[in-house]
Amino acid sequence: MFGKYKPMWGEKTQLKSSYDAVIIGGGLHSLATAYYLAKEHGITDVAIIEKNYIGFGGAGRNTAIVRANQRTQYNVPLYKEALDLWPVLTKELDYNLMFNNCGNLNLMHSEAAMKAARMTICTAQYHGVESHLIDAKEAKELVPALNISEDITFPIHGAMFHPPGGIVRHDAVVWGLARGASKYGVEIHQQTEATAINTRNGKVVSVETDRGTINTSKVLISAGGYSASLINKMMGIRLPVSVLTIQAMVTQPLKPLLNHVVSSGAYHCYANQTLKGEIATGAHMDQWPNYTTQTTAHYIKHQAEALSEFLPCLRGVRFMRIWGGLADMTPDMAPIMDGNDQVEGFFFNCGWGYFGFKSCSAAGKHMAEFMANGEAPNILKPFNLKRYEEHKLMGETAALVTYTPDN
Amino acid sequence: MALTITCPVCGKRNGYEFRYGGEDKGPRPDEAGLTPQSWCDYVHMNNCVAGVQKEWWFHKDGCGSWFTIHRNTTTNLQVATPEADR
Repeated sequence: MFGKYKPMWGEKTQLKSSYDAVIIGGGLHSLATAYYLAKEHGITDVAIIEKNYIGFGGAGRNTAIVRANQRTQYNVPLYKEALDLWPVLTKELDYNLMFNNCGNLNLMHSEAAMKAARMTICTAQYHGVESHLIDAKEAKELVPALNISEDITFPIHGAMFHPPGGIVRHDAVVWGLARGASKYGVEIHQQTEATAINTRNGKVVSVETDRGTINTSKVLISAGGYSASLINKMMGIRLPVSVLTIQAMVTQPLKPLLNHVVSSGAYHCYANQTLKGEIATGAHMDQWPNYTTQTTAHYIKHQAEALSEFLPCLRGVRFMRIWGGLADMTPDMAPIMDGNDQVEGFFFNCGWGYFGFKSCSAAGKHMAEFMANGEAPNILKPFNLKRYEEHKLMGETAALVTYTPDN
Repeated sequence: MALTITCPVCGKRNGYEFRYGGEDKGPRPDEAGLTPQSWCDYVHMNNCVAGVQKEWWFHKDGCGSWFTIHRNTTTNLQVATPEADR
């Protein structure tokens, strides 16, 4: 236990005084961007600057659910690409990401919700994403533990069944991408805090860290829930983002009873059974912005009430652990990926809310292309910051359930 | 999430009685000479401060008043209003 161990990625290196590109944040979007920068664009002289440790934030705090049933024509192809990349990355990285495509079941609790689901399904099918509308009886056949009776707060009318979705071991993705990127020469500097970005004549020239100055012409802020605050502090760019703590928890391990991801907008609850047998479940977000990641009895009670209604066999099961992470919500529930515009060489990727995990591979791939060529690839163009002042907000809020502190 | 908010009418109350009303962005911009940028800035843009910010609250389950407080977003504690804002 206390013997020698071999680090999984890279040797500890000194921070150099200059890199071709610097990435602030050591989460999945950063690691994926660095990986693709090195692999696809030959830019290997890259430093990832992480204040804590890689996977400290959302990368290690999400509920590991992946899916591609977003609402609009801009978002669906991006999430589809990300979903299709899991088996590819498993091979490429030579690392078992434990992708379990068990399928997602989004429960609908009203005729209005069924109608909204029909539209989401049409969009999905148009973009080649498998998704079906099923009735309550069919849902019960897929998940026998479901309570489809009329005597619960929100009776189940039907569900949106999305077979290619499922769960991926999130820590494995962090470790796999870190190892993959460092094999190409990317340096990961943990316990290093970026404090400022210096510009001259409208161009990025260097990044200040608590371990010294790094000269670079390209910098990306991709720090999950911390991005908006950093971008505002370092670059003075204000973003349409609200940062909220979101909580998740797991029960004691149980025999297999849930072989699909089950989620419900009306109950503000989503659940899956991990390979260890625990029921991992996520809750609603806090009602006001904060960076605490504090957990509360309020949500344990909420989850217990919700789960014991639509999955009554879980009554009396104990929660073992609870944790909180950050979600950076935008008004249209779609991310902001932009850069090389306000300041030459400055890129940012944020506003993923609670969709950051499932999208990381595709977002990283395209952000790498964006950073390498200096021009946004077509798939990222609709996600620019200007869309808010042009009143071109995306219709993602119509997808399933809207969580922002403003409503 | 625990939070206690001091309502100017009702005093210290449980945070769940209130609705968050957004960061304080100053007065609504004048209609004359309003540009899409300045309107967007007022409507959508936030500072997302990890620290003390001035923000609006509505006492929805109480007296119904709108007011501002200062709160540290990293500790979720209300802090005293700075002298300059009193």
